[in-house]
Parts: sequence; C-alpha cells; structure tokens
Amino acid sequence: MLKIIIEKELKEILGSTKFVFTFAVCSALILLTFYVGAKNYQINKSQYDASVEGNIRSMQNVTHWLMIQHKIFLPPLPLSSLVGGVSNDIGRNISMAGTGELTAAESKYNEEPIYAVFRFLDLDFLFQIILSLFAILLTYDAVNGEKERGTLALAFANPVPRDKYILGKLIGSFAALSIPLIIPILLGFLILPTMGVPMTGQEWLKLVFIIFTGFLYFGVFLCLSVFMSIVMKQSSGSFLMMLVIWIMSVVVLPRVSVILAGRAVDVPSVDEVNSKKAKYNSQVYEDQFKKMAAFKTNVQGQAAFQEFQKFMGELQDESAQKMKEFTQKINEERSNRQAVQQNLAFNISRISPSACFSLAATNIAGTSLGLINDFMEQATAYQDVFKKFQEAKTGAAGGGGIVIITRSNDEKEKNIDPKELPQFKYNPPDFGKALGKSIIDLVILIVLNLVFFFGSFIAFLKYDLR
Amino acid sequence: MFWILVQKELKSILQSPKFLASFLTFSILVLLSFYTGIREYKDYEKNYNTAVNLIETNMAQADSWSKVQYSAFREPNPMQIFASGINNDIGRYSSISRWDPVKLTHSVYNDDPIFAVFRYVDFSFIATIVLSLFAILFTYDAINGERENGTLKLVFSNSIPRNKFILAKFTGSWLGLVVPLSIPVLLGFLIMVISGIPVSGSVWVKIIFLFAASLLYFTFFISLGILVSALTRHSSTSFLILLTLWIAFVFIIPRAGVMAAGQFIKVPTNAELESQRTAYQQQEWNKYSNETQKLWEKRNKEMEGMSEAEKTQYRKDKEFEWMDESDQILKQKEKDENDFFEKATGVAKNKRNQLEHLALILSRISPASAYQLTVMNLASTDLAMKQRYETAMKDFREKYNEFSEKKQKESGGFGGFSISFNSSGGFTFKDGRGKSVETKDLPRFSYQQSQLSAALAPSIIDMGIIIILTLAAFAGAYLSFLKYDMR
Repeated sequence: MLKIIIEKELKEILGSTKFVFTFAVCSALILLTFYVGAKNYQINKSQYDASVEGNIRSMQNVTHWLMIQHKIFLPPLPLSSLVGGVSNDIGRNISMAGTGELTAAESKYNEEPIYAVFRFLDLDFLFQIILSLFAILLTYDAVNGEKERGTLALAFANPVPRDKYILGKLIGSFAALSIPLIIPILLGFLILPTMGVPMTGQEWLKLVFIIFTGFLYFGVFLCLSVFMSIVMKQSSGSFLMMLVIWIMSVVVLPRVSVILAGRAVDVPSVDEVNSKKAKYNSQVYEDQFKKMAAFKTNVQGQAAFQEFQKFMGELQDESAQKMKEFTQKINEERSNRQAVQQNLAFNISRISPSACFSLAATNIAGTSLGLINDFMEQATAYQDVFKKFQEAKTGAAGGGGIVIITRSNDEKEKNIDPKELPQFKYNPPDFGKALGKSIIDLVILIVLNLVFFFGSFIAFLKYDLR
Repeated sequence: MFWILVQKELKSILQSPKFLASFLTFSILVLLSFYTGIREYKDYEKNYNTAVNLIETNMAQADSWSKVQYSAFREPNPMQIFASGINNDIGRYSSISRWDPVKLTHSVYNDDPIFAVFRYVDFSFIATIVLSLFAILFTYDAINGERENGTLKLVFSNSIPRNKFILAKFTGSWLGLVVPLSIPVLLGFLIMVISGIPVSGSVWVKIIFLFAASLLYFTFFISLGILVSALTRHSSTSFLILLTLWIAFVFIIPRAGVMAAGQFIKVPTNAELESQRTAYQQQEWNKYSNETQKLWEKRNKEMEGMSEAEKTQYRKDKEFEWMDESDQILKQKEKDENDFFEKATGVAKNKRNQLEHLALILSRISPASAYQLTVMNLASTDLAMKQRYETAMKDFREKYNEFSEKKQKESGGFGGFSISFNSSGGFTFKDGRGKSVETKDLPRFSYQQSQLSAALAPSIIDMGIIIILTLAAFAGAYLSFLKYDMR
C-alpha cells in the first residue's frame, strides 16, 4: 500500500508542468553555479600565480636578503569558489618580515568592487535561496490542495490507513524532488575536473558532504511545507505562510542575530587598537634610540661596523620582543571579544535553518570565519621559518626598521637567488576538523527534519478530510 | 465606470489575507532595514570620529616632523543607510605619506568579518527582492485568475470597454499596493530624522529620487505581472513564469553579467602592481646608491691635497651645496618611482574600468540591477566611489607632502635621528628631536560628497531602462488584453 501511495505521489509530481518547469530552471542554475565556480577558480588561480611570480621577480636584482620585500598570498581553494563564505571579504596578501605583526590586506571585494555589487553565485546561495523556494513551491499544497480538489476524499474512499498515506506523501515528494536534482549536481561534479579544477580526495568528500547538508536543509523546508499544508485550511494560506517563513529564515533572522550580537558585545575598533599599538611602538623605539645613542666601541673600521651590527641586532630583538608581547596581548583582547560576539551571533542565528545550512556549508568548505584565523596562524608559523632563513643568510632578521648594509667600492655584489626562499603553503583544515565545526548545525538540521516530519505525521492523523 | 472598477480592484486587494501578511512582512523588513542602516551609520560615524581624534592627538604629541603621521578617512555618508553599496567592502582610510602611494585599506568587512557573513540589510536590498516579489504575488492572477473564477465574464456582461477595464486593473493594483507600502517607508524617514542623522537639503532631494526610483521599479513588476497574466490561460502557469523571471532578474542576471565580463577582461591585481613597483624601487635604489657614491668620490677628489684644517673648512663651506645635490638625486628617485607606479596603476585602472563597464552593461538587462545601480549612484556608494576617493586623496597627498616638506626644511632637516660613521672618530649620533611641532596649519583631508547632478547623471540610463521596460510591459498587457479570450 505504501508503495502505491509513493508511486502515485511520484507520478503526480513528476508529471506536473510545475515540476518540469522548476526542474529545468534549477538544473540550469546548478550547472551554471558549477561552471561559474570552476571559471572563478581559474581566474583566481591565474591571479594568484601572477602575484607569486611577481613577488619572486621583484627580488631578482636584489643583492642582499635584508632588502627584499616579501609577500605571501592566500591561494584560491577549489571549494572556496563553490562556497564563497567570507573568502572574498578578507585580506589575502600579507607582507612578510622576520619580526613584527602581520596583517592581511587586499580583499577581493576591496580590490575589485565590481564583484561586491551583486556578489557571487555559489552553492550556498543556490541551496539557501533557490532550492528552498523550489521545495516550498512544489509542496505548499501537498495536503490542503488535494482536499480543495477533492482528491483527498477520493483517496480515502479506499481502505487506506492515514499513517501510510502521509508517510507515502512525505517520502514520495522528497524522492520526487531530490532525486532529479542529483542528476545536474553529478553533471556539475563532472564539470570541475573537465575545467581543470584540481580536487583532492578530501575535497571531494567535503563537497559531497556540503551537498548532503544542502539536502538536509531542503528536507527541512519540504517537511515544514507539508506540515503547513496540513495545519492551514487553504492552500493559498499555507503558501503565504511559507513565503513569510522563507523570507524570515533567509533574509531577516540571520541579519537580526548579527545586529543583536553587535549591540550586546562591544568590540574595540581596529583604529583604537592600532593607535594603542602605534603609541607603544614609539615608546619602545624611544628607548631604543636612547640605548643607541649610548653606544661606544673601542675597535676601529670594519670591526666597528660588525660590532654595531651585532649591537643593533640585539637591540632590535629586544624591541621586537616587547612589541610582540604587547600586540599579542592587545590582539588577544580584541579577538576574544570578537569571538564572544561571533558565537552569540551564530547561536541566535541558528533559529533560522538557512543560517544553519550556511554556517555548516562554509565550515566544511573552509570559508567560514575560521579561515581568517587559520590563514594568520599558518602565516605566523611561516614567519618563524622566514626569520630563521634570513638569519641563516645574513645573520640578522629584518623588519626592525633599521638595516645597515655595508658596501665597499671594489667588490661587486652578487644578486640573491629568490628561489632559495622557503615557500608558503596554505593547508585548509582536514575533513574531520571541518566536520567537527559544523556538527551543531547538522544536528539542528536533522532535528528540524524530524520535528516537522513527525509534526506532519501527527497532525495528519487528526486531519479533517472534508 | 472607471472609478468603480478601480474601487473594486482596491477592495479585492486590501481585503485579502494575502495583503495583510505581505503588508506586515514588508513593514517589518523596511523598519528593520532603516534601524540597521541608522545603527550602521552611527557606528561608522563613531569609529570615524575616534580615528580622527586619535590622529589629532598623536600629531599634537609628535616632537618631530618625521613623526607626524596622517591618514585620510572616508567620511560617513547618510545615504549609506538606504544603499550601502560597496561602502563596507572597500577600505575606510589611506595613510598619507611621501613614501607610499594612496591606497584604501581596512574595509568594514575585513576588520569585522562577522558582518560579512550574512551582510547588512539595507533598503535597496529589501526593495529589490521583496517589493518585486509582492508585486508578482498580487498581480500574477490579475486577468487569468478572474477568468478562472468566472468573474471576468460577469464583469463583461455589463457594457464595459476592455481598455477601461485593463487600465482600471492597473490603476487599482498600483494604488492598492503603493499607498499602504509607502507607509512604513515614510515612517522610516521619520525615524531617520528623529535619530539625528544629518539630512541636508540635497540629501532630501536624493531621498525623493530614491523613493521615485523604487516606485518605478515596483511599477515595472506590476506591469509585468499583469502582462504575463494576460498572456496565459492559467494562473498557476503565470505564477511559475513570473517566479522564474523574478529569480532571473533579481538573482541570476546581475551576477551572471558581472561574471561573464570577468571572463573576457583580465585585470592585473594590486599584488602584481606592488611587486612591479618593488622591483623598480630596487633598481632605482641601486642607481641612487651608485650616484651618491660617485658624488662622494668626486668630492673627495676635489679635496685631495688639502690639509685636515682646510678639508674641514671646505666641508663646512660646501655643506649646503652638497646637501642640495643629494637632495636633488633623492627627489628625482622619488619622482621616478611615483611616475612609474602611476603609469602601471593607470594601465590597470583602464582595464578595470573596461571590466566594470562591460559588467554593468550586461547586468542592466535586468531591471533589478538597473534599480540597484540607480540607488547606489544616488547614495554615492556606487562603484566609482573608490576612484573618487582615491583621486581626492591623491590630490590631497600632493598638497600635504608639499606642506610638510616645507615645514621640515624650516625646522632644519628631518629633525629625526642621524647616525654618522667616521673611520677615525667612530659613531656619532645626532638627536634632532625634542621640540614639539606646530601641526595646526597642516592640511586636513575633507571630501565633498558628489553634487546632486553628478549623482543623478549616471542613474538616468538606469532609470530610462526601467521606464522603457515598464512602458513595454504595460503596452503589451494592454494590447494582449484587447484580444484576450474570456471563456
């Protein structure tokens, strides 16, 4: 019996013009999204390569390792063009120096504001806005529509148990809507390697999981929509309700949560922090100058230079250490406040399934707010490597502000070989870690699915068929 | 007769539960957008004031000209409440100095990425998405819905000309939707005034234009809804078609247009430009040190054969001349570097302009993007904002540098720290600091928001596009209804 009901449901949905129409639109959009993602990856990759190459080229005529201006770049990741997250908003380039604080600058949107005007098309957007609307459109009249048309009474003229009927309805509509979507998605998967996007095994796994999360989110709207069609007497009423819920979930709740959190937790502005740093910095250098002025040496000539170099190195290390401690402290204060604010905002926003999906998807893709921390952490680790390299090459670390390079007239300086420079590599968090971060959101989505599923089930048992 | 039909239409809209739900949703959204816009503006203003004050305090404390550091900040703009545009995406300030070119850094979203996660809601966003959706919701069954209900036949059993009916339909739905939906918007303006946002006369004019543009955009979707409902037999079909058009207009075409343009035109990134500049600087530096070295060799030659005392005297006599010579070389180097960078950025800028131009042309197919562009232009948060600010800051930088250089000279050199090495005397340090500096006359950056006419001019094309599309949709609806099969 259940099979027959499911079959009927499948036939009914798949045979309707509404389905054919929306399915065609969604498929086109899914394929477009994958195509655009792959294309964007290519563009970003070529820009990244050009930047790295330019960085190396800028060192070619340099004769001393302390004179280089080294920059590291956040490489584009295949998944970040499919689920953008904040990857276009955050700084991608870091000027590297052996000591001192690192700041990432030049976000994609800052550099090319044209993309900021209308934003990007990605999987997050597709599932969050388009596919959820698709789910609502095809199920808002699942039960009350049948009643209006009189087919419900007809169905129950046969000895059909109610529980089987509603179960068949839910399973049937989910299968009818999600299975056809899998086809364009699989085709989209094929687009990626064809267009030369290098996906590792881990990334495939993440991508599959993002799609899975997307279907969970899709399921929430589908079950909720069926539930509404039972609760509301008329299909026009349930459609309106769903539309309002959709707007609230997609547009209103996520933003309101950020506003609320912004009000509740005060975070000192970057300018304040920077000015504190600048003040402390000038104080530290004031001390350094005093010590420098007191420098005395007994030796003469080249030896004096060497001694001065050594003295300066020590002095700079000391100042850098002081600065480092201070900036660490003050940055930590700010980032702690920020973390509190972010957590609060996210927790409030989780009322909305759209926000849950978006958070889960960006976490898995590695383009959530954690991307900033990961990038900075790995850049700081690289800074140590870079500092050691510079020290090994020159005996001093750059970045302290004063570099003294002695040149004598007769010897011809040799150019450095920029290829010797250790390279920066960014490693995105692995699948397990990414999954761990998105587990709350996944659980919420699953729970919501269950709640609305059983909600419709129970509501239908008491449904007035007339 | 006409007014009876209009009244009937008004009644049917205002009394439907659909209307109540959408009116409430819209009101909440609009008020929310105003609220967040005002908060965002005030936060920006607060940050701006703190930052400017900090710069002033630091300048007051500076004890040498080399310590005076100035940054030019983008001022808060009350129009960002309606359309934040790219306001949060591009940098808030640029440091102004002799050494570094103007570059806007520290965007709001970069500093506080939490706001980038879900972005802000501003009025233009709500209007683009929700207004158009509501227009469709209320008009998708304007004609074919009445046919399905049988009311169309009923109406035409009276002697009513078709053209009057369709005009009344349009007028009725327009009034029925525009009047109530204007209420929360007007309320929003009121809230804005009450919360003390400085709204000058020209800002009011811009707001009025913005309101008019929103109405126009809304009207387009009403006409489109009636057109499609007059072209199709079933309301379910017209709804689907309209929804697809809506998705395409609002979400797909704008994005696709920009991305398509991105495929055709490749713009060199700032990082590439920077590295070109660094390479050039290195080259210039090598040249500079060679030249200075030659200069010293020449001077030493001149002094050959003099006694120690004569040498000292000679040095003393020539001190200023020599300093000028060195200064000349340094200046030339700076100028060359600047010119080089200007040229390189000029090329990149041209490319970027081409890209933006093409992207906007492609995306303008959609009235939704035409509307958004209009609003951004009115709010001066459009794409060109970045360039406008950068140009203004560049001009300012020149003035600033000229002034501070003059002052430095007057105060006798850099006033900073100097280390000199003499093979016999060892190291000597000179500390020229300790005096406080008078920075009161130093120019401060101020920016004149673009004139009303300048803000309006670029939006004329966009408004024109929407007007033409609206007229076309309306004419289409009118003509197709004249031939509509009422059975």
